[in-house]
Amino acid sequence: MKIPIIMPQLGESIAEANIINFLVKAGDNVEADQDLIEVETDKATMTVAAPCKGKIEKFTAKLNESYAVGATLGQIEATKGEAARLGFDVAPAKISDTQHISKSDENRRSGRVQPTVRGLPVPANAAGASYMSPRMKARMVELGLQAADLAGIAGSGAAGRVTIEDFEKFLASLEKQKLTPASSMRVAVADAMRRSWTRPLATVGLPVTLDAVLAHRKNSNPKPGPALYALRALAIALAENSAPAGRLVGNKIVHPSSIDVGFAVEAEDGVLVPVLRGADKKSLSELVVRYNELVELARQRKLPADSTGGSVATVTNFGTFGLIWATPIPLPEQTLVLGMGAGRKMPHWDEAKSQFVPVTEAYLTLSFDHRVLDGGAAGRLLQRIAELMSRPEKL
Amino acid sequence: MGTEITYIDAIREAQAHALRDDPRVFIYGQDVGAFGGAFKATKNLAKEFPGRVLDSPISEDAMVGLAVGAAIEGLRPIIEMQFADFSTVGFNQIVNQAATLFWRTNVPCPITVRLPFGGTSGGGPFHSQCIETIYAHYPGLIVLTPATVEDAYSMLLEAVALDDPVIFCEHKFLYRHLKAEKLPSEALPIGKAGIAREGRDLTIVTYSAMVHEALEAATELAPEGWEIEIVDLRSVKPLDTDTVVASVARTGKLLCVGEAWPWGGVTAEIIARVASEGYGLLDAPPQRLNAKDTPVPYHPNLWTAHRPTARAIAAAARKLLRT
Repeated sequence: MKIPIIMPQLGESIAEANIINFLVKAGDNVEADQDLIEVETDKATMTVAAPCKGKIEKFTAKLNESYAVGATLGQIEATKGEAARLGFDVAPAKISDTQHISKSDENRRSGRVQPTVRGLPVPANAAGASYMSPRMKARMVELGLQAADLAGIAGSGAAGRVTIEDFEKFLASLEKQKLTPASSMRVAVADAMRRSWTRPLATVGLPVTLDAVLAHRKNSNPKPGPALYALRALAIALAENSAPAGRLVGNKIVHPSSIDVGFAVEAEDGVLVPVLRGADKKSLSELVVRYNELVELARQRKLPADSTGGSVATVTNFGTFGLIWATPIPLPEQTLVLGMGAGRKMPHWDEAKSQFVPVTEAYLTLSFDHRVLDGGAAGRLLQRIAELMSRPEKL
Repeated sequence: MGTEITYIDAIREAQAHALRDDPRVFIYGQDVGAFGGAFKATKNLAKEFPGRVLDSPISEDAMVGLAVGAAIEGLRPIIEMQFADFSTVGFNQIVNQAATLFWRTNVPCPITVRLPFGGTSGGGPFHSQCIETIYAHYPGLIVLTPATVEDAYSMLLEAVALDDPVIFCEHKFLYRHLKAEKLPSEALPIGKAGIAREGRDLTIVTYSAMVHEALEAATELAPEGWEIEIVDLRSVKPLDTDTVVASVARTGKLLCVGEAWPWGGVTAEIIARVASEGYGLLDAPPQRLNAKDTPVPYHPNLWTAHRPTARAIAAAARKLLRT
């Protein structure tokens, strides 16, 4: 078995040594630790000793040449016992005959243990698609972006997180498309909806018959809009029990101090919500003038500051768009939004006449913060509103 | 001198240059005279500059104490510690006397303490340690860690010219492994880090011998499509935070590599600075790779596993790149 003769580590900081003399020649029998080669370093002249007893097979190193520490200088033919003693009884990794000094310092490492790094620790919260690095967050603040804006990016990072590189590529791809600035109202609505969506929202619905409301409206002057009937009914119902309009903050329910109810008015590129203050304390006929006035001001986008904000619930008449059902999202500072669908002629079974009669029916929907109330409370509130709307003359 | 100049040649030449230029300069250390120093860093200097390259007793305490006194008298001594490990015997004189002198008395203390430091195969616990962090901790000291032949030369010259006490950490592993064609005629000033390799995917901040391991790791990662930027700190104190933060701004990812132990070390300091001054630049948690937190082992295989190697750096970088 052939055992390599290796240039040993000759001392601190020594990287290479020059062969100056061979003390034995190929074919000679040598003892373990017998001096074989004289080498010269920057500091001193030293010798390379035989790693084991055996016969010199060959020297691959050449006189007056420099070899790196760890380089093979020759080979010794040794017995299997000798080889086993040195740990050479297993097939060695391939070592080239002569290894000259190379810039890569490859020699230095040949035959050494190569350590690997396991488990470079990454904090648990650093993984996952939802993780946003500080750089991502800083960049998003800089650009005025929100997490929701990243929804369309497929992340390439650990567990699918969006890396800064993914993000910059996404931004670059946007530049290729048509970009128009969003209006300030659009941005404000987006902000309100995003904040509201942080809560668990649910919606319930109830069909109501509108014939009484429509008949009442026909004989009124000025004519209240259908949504105003719903608004007034909601205000009365909340005056009876304000708990469903309360807001949950920590472990407290914050009850409204005044039943101020807002109503959605579509304006250019967004929605405005003027407010009727103390809607539970004024009759429908008292509210209608102010209501119409606020609708007009909202459409002109001239709402005075004191007529928006601070409401406890909102009424939205999505029926004006021909929609019969929707799940409106309450404003972030509110728990409730009452929706009203389009009225439709529906067949209604009349027990007295034993026949179907046409009625005008619409859905009332109630979206609510499920932390504050449950389906039962929401259902009871809707039932009460429907009941109040069936007697519009009392509103 | 031959056509190839080693790191240790550069240190010898810088000292010869300083002795030639400034009559106030002298060298003091164990066996630096006729023997030319344990590593031959002062080879023939005693002959060339008679009376100015002086053998000291085997007392690091006395060596630094004498140097501080000489500095007070207007001289500019260069102290050679045989091994950085033994500078701890002179620790009191360095950190209590030299470091504080100017602050106490307004008398400058222009001494240069050369520390042959860092691991070599088989060096073991007393001849391998990286103790730059300990000195960097003390106000009043400048701690230099050149990684190239050119820097070894220019930074040692600048160290001797400085009016502050300088701890000059010269890596023993680099002494004869590094070669340059010629000595530099110009250099970055002390306190300015250099970019050893440009890249855009990840920043490795390191210094001294680890710069070369990091460069090799970067070469290993290049075929995989990663472009690694390597910042060579050059001096750990002052620490060039601007260059580090600017690099992290380019790459978003930071891996600090040091041959010293991890606990409260230079790598920790860099991460602390980037976290507070460049938090918004980080696209992944900054990482560091240091020697294992044990004394330096003798056995070459254990030593290779103890210190960060190109292979280990590449593995750590790969992991961080995929975060």
